Amino acid sequence: MSGGPPRPRGGDTTTDDRSSRTGRLGDWSRTRAENVTRIARWEVTKNAGGVDRRTVIIAVLAVIGLGAMAPVAVSQGVSLDQGIYRVGVVPEDPYYDPVFLDPTFRVQNPSSAAVEAGKQEIRIVGPQVREYADTTKGRAAVDELRSSTMRYNDGIMGLEDNQSAAFPVVVNLSYVQRDATRVVAPGEQAIAVDSGEDEEAGGGDGAGGGGDGSSDDGSGDENGDGTAGDGSDAGGDGDSDVTQPEGGSNVGSSTIGARLTGGGTSGAPSDITPPFPFRSLVLAFVFVLPLNFVIQAYGSTILSERINRRGELLLVSPVSRGDIIVGKTLPYFAAAIGVATAITLVLRGSAISVLAIVPLAMLFLAATFLGAMFARSFKELTFVTVTITVSLTSYAFVPAIFTDVTPIALISPLTLVVRDLQGQAIGLGQFAFSTLPPTLTALTLFGLGAGLYREEDMFTQRPIPYKVLDALAGPITRRRSVALVTAVLLPFVLVAELVVVAFMYPLTQASIPFGVIVFAAFVGIALVEELAKSLHVYAGYAHSRFDDTLRTALVVGLFSGIGFFLAEKLTLIARLADLQEVEIGQAALGEQALLQTGVPLPILVVALLLAPLALHVVTASISALGARRGRRSYAVALVIAVAVHVAYNLTVVTALAQ
Amino acid sequence: MTESDGDSTGRSLLSDPRLIIAKRDLSSLSREKTIVLALLIQLFVAAFSSFLVVGLTSLYNPGSVSAGEVVVGVAGEHDAPLVRAANEQDGLRAITYPTPETAREAYQDGRVHAVMLAGDSGNRIDVEVIAPQESIETTLIIDQVRTLLEAVERDERIARSDHLDRSTVPVPEKVDASPYFGFTYTVLVPLLLFLPPFISGSVAVDALTEEIERGTLELLRVAPLSLVDIVDGKALAMILIAPLQALLWVTLLGWNGIDIANLGQLLTVVTALTTLVVTLGLSLGVLTAKRREAQLLYSVLVIFGFGILTFLPEHPATTVAKLAVDSPTGTTTAHVVGYAVAAVALFVLARRLVARTDPEGL
Repeated sequence: MSGGPPRPRGGDTTTDDRSSRTGRLGDWSRTRAENVTRIARWEVTKNAGGVDRRTVIIAVLAVIGLGAMAPVAVSQGVSLDQGIYRVGVVPEDPYYDPVFLDPTFRVQNPSSAAVEAGKQEIRIVGPQVREYADTTKGRAAVDELRSSTMRYNDGIMGLEDNQSAAFPVVVNLSYVQRDATRVVAPGEQAIAVDSGEDEEAGGGDGAGGGGDGSSDDGSGDENGDGTAGDGSDAGGDGDSDVTQPEGGSNVGSSTIGARLTGGGTSGAPSDITPPFPFRSLVLAFVFVLPLNFVIQAYGSTILSERINRRGELLLVSPVSRGDIIVGKTLPYFAAAIGVATAITLVLRGSAISVLAIVPLAMLFLAATFLGAMFARSFKELTFVTVTITVSLTSYAFVPAIFTDVTPIALISPLTLVVRDLQGQAIGLGQFAFSTLPPTLTALTLFGLGAGLYREEDMFTQRPIPYKVLDALAGPITRRRSVALVTAVLLPFVLVAELVVVAFMYPLTQASIPFGVIVFAAFVGIALVEELAKSLHVYAGYAHSRFDDTLRTALVVGLFSGIGFFLAEKLTLIARLADLQEVEIGQAALGEQALLQTGVPLPILVVALLLAPLALHVVTASISALGARRGRRSYAVALVIAVAVHVAYNLTVVTALAQ
Repeated sequence: MTESDGDSTGRSLLSDPRLIIAKRDLSSLSREKTIVLALLIQLFVAAFSSFLVVGLTSLYNPGSVSAGEVVVGVAGEHDAPLVRAANEQDGLRAITYPTPETAREAYQDGRVHAVMLAGDSGNRIDVEVIAPQESIETTLIIDQVRTLLEAVERDERIARSDHLDRSTVPVPEKVDASPYFGFTYTVLVPLLLFLPPFISGSVAVDALTEEIERGTLELLRVAPLSLVDIVDGKALAMILIAPLQALLWVTLLGWNGIDIANLGQLLTVVTALTTLVVTLGLSLGVLTAKRREAQLLYSVLVIFGFGILTFLPEHPATTVAKLAVDSPTGTTTAHVVGYAVAAVALFVLARRLVARTDPEGL
């Protein structure tokens, strides 16, 4: 990115012409390091440290105040759904107590007229629901009443002396692997979900040996009693593979655990919850949150360079662009990683958690850097930053929810953190699959931003779409460089495609036909790929980098297609992460899936290599032809290219199916 | 702007300098297309949280996602109540096996999704459940099994009611209810209505501090405008767009079959909250005159204020939820009035602060 402008300590490099290449490399890197540290130091002292003391004190006080409020707010139990359903019930009715105890309901006098008028959702007469409003709200109210009644019943029964009659069913739940090798023996597996949480879960168990129900706070202890709890107080029966989730979500019936005197190896039916690593997920969110504050400050400092031409001083100084960017970024990157390390230490994660946060931090910073290069004003930067926050947080967070459900979750490095906190092992392939795409994406974003970090772009006001084109056209100097840009854009393609697949995943759980989902995924993926192959070509034409001949368009298309084809082989890392287990992942990663079917024909193998190449070249040429005629024809050509691409993919899949 | 500066009554309403400032700010927003970006962000947040909740609900309550039937192998001496309860449950089928061993075998061969071995332990039914290792299926299976066992528990409690001092409350019949109803009104609607005020306040900070930092405030002041006029104009612009966005969301939700009641009161709440945060933002801008500090303080203080509001009898999110779902109480109305009064009071106070500020010092 840096074109080798003069360096401040450059004088001494002229004298050692004859010194070895390693010596020069040493000098070069030393100069770089000096420049970078100096700029980083300026950044810390002048910018980040530039917030005055009054501001810092107020901010710290507010944060401390928030921290002090949190326990109070939690103990009061902030329930957002307070009083949204109105129930007509009199104190003599058996339903009065459950309704009264659940803050979701508001008790009213039963009145048929009120139900008619939509001022009461449920009317209870004696021991039955006599009438409910036939609206979505009324039905939701009955559903809510149903579950709070069940909770209430469990609570009542907890007070009974005769516990065997009150809780006549005891459940032992064990998860047993089932496969061809017949793993039967109960006792050899434990629920991996819980193993990372034993510090707290174990503590809760120990305290509650006789009756560990001292009003757990919801989500906390759900999957609590993992391996540690079992080991210490299993006592009775020898099934060490039994999980007994605490009645975490049973608000208002704190005695649930108290009835079980035999220790934590069995539970009533309502105690069973499906495995779900909610706590690890919340903890992982703690890693992402500080990044959002870091990028606020970072975006601000980058944009302030561009206001009133302040950055010009640095630009004319004898340091390279790369040094400036690295130097200005370094303090923020260090801050992000420092916070992540501190959190990891507190949560007792391993180094893997920190390493997994590195690409995320880079991605946040890179996106903000590019956004700050694009933005025209602080107002615009605020929106750009919020967009980055929202989209990157969801990219990191949403897949991590499905950590234990599907390997697709690995597209987010946060999944690695969740797994690490759970104490699961992480393979090298999985690590690479998870961290490589965001790292490459971040580097590309930095590269694009660096292309704009020059006088003619920094201090001019142009709409964002034009700046995007500027950034893309920057590296295009001749026709050949199109291939390079296409290849460089591939990480975006990879991330975007995986996000498309990940968003299709919930649909497979719904009752939408599989074919429709696959088609939707194909269209999404084709659009992403065609954009990556042609957007910079369009930018090149818009900047008059190419002449207007048919031949040039075809050559550019050829280069773009080849660049994409070569770089696409990177997607092979997807195979490292066992992604082929997932049906939709298979379909989506098209050609790779073909390889796994094990079709032995050598002809097919040749076709497998040549057909995608031909496809990419053809579609890239189509859009290149459109791009040379301006925006509208480019859009039309892009649609055609996407259509061709989808048709090709469908053909491949139907051929596979036969 | 007007030719005779002193003749303030002669200024027609439309050429009021504050309105011109407001118009100027709004047009710069639309020129930069930032407002489009803002709407996109909000749409994305809404989609994201809906996606999140559908994901969570389907994991916690997998029955809400339609799926195939769960087949459970049942064995052991107490299998009869299990089978009875299974016959009454949709989406679950029980197959009886003569011995636990045969049931386990069936599980290993993949003929059943899970096995329930109902043995005897003291006076209780001791059910050993064997389910497959984690997968999305497990969640569904465990959910069905739990529903079944809860039904068995209810039946058994009734059968043993002679030994119990207390009686349970009959559980209402199951109805076909949307599992997302509560979430929609208590989380999604408040979220959508609170985002516009928050963004408005943040933009207000930018709008003022940017003029100061770029030095364009000086230019503005060359015109016959007081600092109060300028701040008024900026506040007006930012306070106006939030309820408009809220209205847009309500309309969009309406198209999706989610009816929002008490629109007037909801918009009052949104406008009042926007006034509060915009006033806060502009005051911070005047006090610090630096964007970075003003923005930092703004976000921290808004979050702090939102935290403080949990100590009200009714949190603003609850107020919005109760209004939107049409279950308002006297307390709700009192809160709405309270926000409006607080907004006006703070706005008046902030104007005084601005009037006392020396513009040359900015």
